[in-house]
Amino acid sequence: MPGTVHIVDDDVSFRTALERRMRKAGYEVATYASAQHLLDRLPGESGPACILLDVKIPGLSGPDLQQRLAELGSTLPIIFVTGYADVRATVKAIKAGAEDVLTKPIMSDQLLPAVERALAHHETSRGLKARLDELRARLARLTPRETQVFELVVQGRINKQIAQQLGATERTIKAHRHRVMEKMGVDSLAELVSMAERLDVLRRLSAGIGKVD
Amino acid sequence: MLASRPFNPVPGGVMMRIRGLIVCLFIVVLPPEASAQRQLARSILFLDQSDLRGPFYYDIFRAFRQRIAAEAQSQATIYSESLDLSRFGGAAHEQNVREYLHEKYRDRPIGVIVAIGTATLDLVLRWRSELWPGVPVVFGLIDANDVGRVKNEPDITGGTVDLRLADAIRAARAVVPHLYGIVFVGDDWNRQVVFGHWKEEMRTATAGLQVTELIGLPMNEIRQKVATLADRTVIIYSAVYSDEKGGFFPPAVTLRFISKSANRPIIVAAETFLESGGIGGFVLQPEAIGADAALRVLRIVGGEDASHIPITPTNAVKPIFNWLQMQRWNVGESALPEGSEIRFREPGLWQQYRWQSAVAVTVLLIQAGLISILLHERRRRSDAEQDARRRLAELAHVHRQSIAGELSASIAHELNQPLGSILTNAETAEFILDSPDPDLREIKEILADIRHDDLRASQIIGHMRGLLKRTPFELKEVDLNEVICESFELMSAQAATRNVALYLNTAPGRLPVSGDSIQLQQIILNLVFNAMDAMTEIPFGRTIMGKTVVDGGCGVISISDSGPGIPTENPNEIFDPFFTTKEQGMGIGLSIARTIVQAHKGRIWAENQPEGGATFFISLPLLPR
Repeated sequence: MPGTVHIVDDDVSFRTALERRMRKAGYEVATYASAQHLLDRLPGESGPACILLDVKIPGLSGPDLQQRLAELGSTLPIIFVTGYADVRATVKAIKAGAEDVLTKPIMSDQLLPAVERALAHHETSRGLKARLDELRARLARLTPRETQVFELVVQGRINKQIAQQLGATERTIKAHRHRVMEKMGVDSLAELVSMAERLDVLRRLSAGIGKVD
Repeated sequence: MLASRPFNPVPGGVMMRIRGLIVCLFIVVLPPEASAQRQLARSILFLDQSDLRGPFYYDIFRAFRQRIAAEAQSQATIYSESLDLSRFGGAAHEQNVREYLHEKYRDRPIGVIVAIGTATLDLVLRWRSELWPGVPVVFGLIDANDVGRVKNEPDITGGTVDLRLADAIRAARAVVPHLYGIVFVGDDWNRQVVFGHWKEEMRTATAGLQVTELIGLPMNEIRQKVATLADRTVIIYSAVYSDEKGGFFPPAVTLRFISKSANRPIIVAAETFLESGGIGGFVLQPEAIGADAALRVLRIVGGEDASHIPITPTNAVKPIFNWLQMQRWNVGESALPEGSEIRFREPGLWQQYRWQSAVAVTVLLIQAGLISILLHERRRRSDAEQDARRRLAELAHVHRQSIAGELSASIAHELNQPLGSILTNAETAEFILDSPDPDLREIKEILADIRHDDLRASQIIGHMRGLLKRTPFELKEVDLNEVICESFELMSAQAATRNVALYLNTAPGRLPVSGDSIQLQQIILNLVFNAMDAMTEIPFGRTIMGKTVVDGGCGVISISDSGPGIPTENPNEIFDPFFTTKEQGMGIGLSIARTIVQAHKGRIWAENQPEGGATFFISLPLLPR
């Protein structure tokens, strides 16, 4: 799978060797001498990509960077590279969502599959995210009144209750409901609920976020 | 009576040959009761034929007087008269002298007459019956061949001298090998009071030699002629009494003039001529003549009959040579006749400054002794120092091994960097080579990188090996900046593992010191490890700051940490052996560090910083640029 590999390592020689290997394997490569360097040029996620990150880099460490990227909403998978196997650090990294942990020196038949897996993983998560974004976009197209209707519908209210709550006729509500179904591109109430689930609307509502009244 | 006595006055009246006539004189002159009438007076009349201006007769007289003064029990009175017969002569002069002596000593009873020289003796023999009847006579400086004239004289004794021309020729042959010619220089033979008989000896003595006589010539002519003499000739000087201006001089003085002009060595026959420029020869020693006469006088004064004292040769002729002249004429000591004495030899340092030399030699010996003792001590000290150094090197090595052990984990990590690069690069290269159209330029780049990483790996191993190696203590010029940089590099992985930030700030340029780089590095590693250990309890902000500065003539390394500081009153206690603040510490690291620094003629000390943390300083003398 074509993709971009972001290499973060302070050792220029190792960085160059990895870069060369990755290019030969057919990937796009970007290199960074430090974690801060990568943060400064935060890579986009328009295509499949992953990060090869040295655990021990001066300044911001590998795990620190991992945390910062998560906070920034990045879905870039991270493959950690360490000088020697440190079980505690490895477990910690994996728990924090690391894609893989490789120990130097790294054989190509370890490295290339790991990168491939990471890219695939990213592709998947990137696909999910794209569809979610699409749903959000659809949601955004709803008028405020339609959004109110949508939220009440997915909470299982019937038209009559909705009309009563919003102070409108049942007929009007029915029309709103029809446009919501249309705008959100669904045919059934079940589909609409599922969508709301994915968009996390229900949880937000129960938490009182965006409550209409 | 005397006037009627036949004698043969030579013009100038010096030498009188009256041999054979003495017999009849004896009969006529000697009264039978002479010996009975002997005066018991202790006065001595000393008569010589010259005057006392020249050293020769003066020396005779001096020796005579000295001997008399030394030996005579009662005081003997010595009267002395110089008849000056070499300058004055003739019957009138003799008559005057006779009357003078007669008048002068009329009332002085004379016990012994001493007559020095043939001319004197001739006069004394003629006058004695009238002037000093019955007075014994002692003579000296009479040629052995002339002694016959006193054979029948009563109450007479004396010493003879044997002054042979043949000896002078012998001396000449010794001085000039392959002698060719002889040049005689002197006044008329007839006027010669001592050497006159040489004329008769000449024919036999000089056989086979070319003989030139510069006899009776004016002084200026002599001087001209002696300046241009042929090779292999020798001058034989008898005596010259006058210079070209008609002045009279003692012959020792005239010899001086002649010697200045002479281009050949001059053989002489009187000891007093040696100093005046004669090279030497068989010479008359005036002192021997004087002493011999004195001994005879003393015996007579002591009561002996003069006629019972035998006439014997005075051993007054001896081969003596002048060293300075020998040098001038290039004559070796071995060429001289056997038994020769050498005068005027430059005294050696030892002879000249005997006691000063003795003191100097003693001082030198004492000094040499002291020096050898000191050298021995120094040797022992240097042996001890070497021993101490060897022990230090061993101890330092053991300690380095423990440091290396601590470092090994981070060294392994360090090694992984280049090894990882090499592996990846090698695989990439394989991949490229497997492709249908391999890019050789890229392969070349990869190989260059591999080589670079390989060197890096071997450097890391080299450092490690340096620490593990057992090396003798060896002082070389090392750069303190380089030492601390390498040490910090070695520690960097360790520092990262232990979450310690290492900073290094070096003085610009080189800081050359005389040192053992491995041991200096060991100290720095030790200090950095200690600093890390001191900061384990600190949750964050673990920092180690290395620094080099120039302070006066010294390079100073400082290692500061941000730990709790040294928990003791006196921070420098920590350099004592077995002092430790660590649970598992041996307490030898810093004491070894101090020993190493002291072996480098440097100083190590520790301070707690007011803002917290400890700083260790190492100060080493910089080498002059």
